[in-house]
Amino acid sequence: MIATADILSARGISKSHLDSRSGHQVEALRDVSVNVGHHEFVSVIGPSGCGKSTFLRVVAGLDRPSAGEIIVAGKRVSRPGADRGMVFQEYALLPWKTTQKNIEFGPLLKGMAKAERAEIARRFIALVGLTGAEHKYPHQLSGGMRQRAAVARALANNPAILLMDEPFAAVDAMTRQRLQEELAAISATERTTVLFVTHAIEEAVFLSDRVVVLSGKPGRVVADIRIDLERPRRWDQLTRQGRFADYCAELTRHLSGTPS
Amino acid sequence: MRSDVLPAEAPKHAPLSLRLRLIDIGQELLPFVVGVAIWQALSSLNIWPPVLFPSPLQVFWSFVADIKSGALPKALSVSLVSLAYGFLIGAAIALPLGYLMGLNRASRNFFDPLVNLLQAIPGLAWIPFAILWFGLGQGAVIFIIVMSVFFPVLHNLLTGIRLVQPVLVEASQTLGASRWAIIVHVIFPSTLPNLMTGIRLGIAFGFRSLVGGEMIASTDGIGYQIFNAQQYFQSARIVVGMLAIGIVWLLLDRLVLRPIETHTTMRWGLMREGIENT
Repeated sequence: MIATADILSARGISKSHLDSRSGHQVEALRDVSVNVGHHEFVSVIGPSGCGKSTFLRVVAGLDRPSAGEIIVAGKRVSRPGADRGMVFQEYALLPWKTTQKNIEFGPLLKGMAKAERAEIARRFIALVGLTGAEHKYPHQLSGGMRQRAAVARALANNPAILLMDEPFAAVDAMTRQRLQEELAAISATERTTVLFVTHAIEEAVFLSDRVVVLSGKPGRVVADIRIDLERPRRWDQLTRQGRFADYCAELTRHLSGTPS
Repeated sequence: MRSDVLPAEAPKHAPLSLRLRLIDIGQELLPFVVGVAIWQALSSLNIWPPVLFPSPLQVFWSFVADIKSGALPKALSVSLVSLAYGFLIGAAIALPLGYLMGLNRASRNFFDPLVNLLQAIPGLAWIPFAILWFGLGQGAVIFIIVMSVFFPVLHNLLTGIRLVQPVLVEASQTLGASRWAIIVHVIFPSTLPNLMTGIRLGIAFGFRSLVGGEMIASTDGIGYQIFNAQQYFQSARIVVGMLAIGIVWLLLDRLVLRPIETHTTMRWGLMREGIENT
């Protein structure tokens, strides 16, 4: 055990990879350190190509960092594991499993009994509002429903931290706002620890307790801002608050001050 | 109130679904009816003597005679047993080798050149060795079928593995899936559409080699019967043999392969009938 108060401690993460066309080393991340505390919702924002998704993949164990270490719940990790649940932009539901079977997949891998799995799936299907779609296959669901199922699948596996990679980028604007409100409510009631990657400033402010700003190429931390807005958060209330706009303006300044 | 009305209405709906079924069957049969009609019209013109171009009716009577004598059922059963063994052995080698090659770089690098070299050699080119090794008969025929089934199954399986979406593997890894769990829950179902194509092609290639193999390396089966009929100028019997193969394939497709696809790849939205509805 490595003593830490945080659920996630990413320390000095650097990442370079060889560009196959130019033959040069490309530096994607330089010495990025991010901590996420218990029940904290932290967003990482930055211009496109700043390496924020790469950072999340390094945390997930899907990519290896060139330097630095990832500590999750006191343990150093280097490979993907069930302690870091992930929600992808492209949903990544298994097409051959129904909504229920997709959500049961994590518990199934843990060797949980059928009845217990079904009980967990029922709970999370209700939590994300997919009751009635249990036996549908992903291709029969709308984009918003697919992402709800993907969130339920990640949560049903009871991860120490939930990693989300621009999860609402592919759905329409109205669905996106609803999903953001639902996620804010669920993460609050379930007391989920979340690391969320996005390029949308309003989304980051709306959802987060803290927003970490990365500069572009290579990605470096340029700001770490606490968002003091009360919960529960709703779009129709927040957008009228001056403080919400102030936070967005502050983040915009940090982002525009960085070359992209 | 509604429930009082419904039973009285129900019988009115039954004939509709029956009508739809009849339309379905009609649609299924239409191409064959048209095909036979053209065939009949051509043979009625008497351009070619019956020995070169037998009429549908001659073929039908020859078919009835072959059934009555038991020659056709016997030949067909011999052929189908050869095909079944050939297919099962070929697939039983191709499937594990395919997954091994698809999932392990070292074995892919080792086997790929060998497979590519052998792939171009037609199954029928193995006939001389098949006869030397197994003698004339069913063993030689099965060997030739194995050599024909193996490559299309392997090739399509490898394509299927190459098409597995990395994000599905990654999502499973973040759920805690082991390598074996990923093979079972992600890779195998992912490869099914291509695997089914491989199986279809495998069986189709198998049929080709079966008939060719029996003509040369055997004294039994539907291929031998076709070959034998030609020796005696029994043109109608040749057509009976050819059609028997076609009909067996059609039944295999409708009764085995399509139902598997309907319950898997089509149901999962990985494959559709066509793209006219998009």
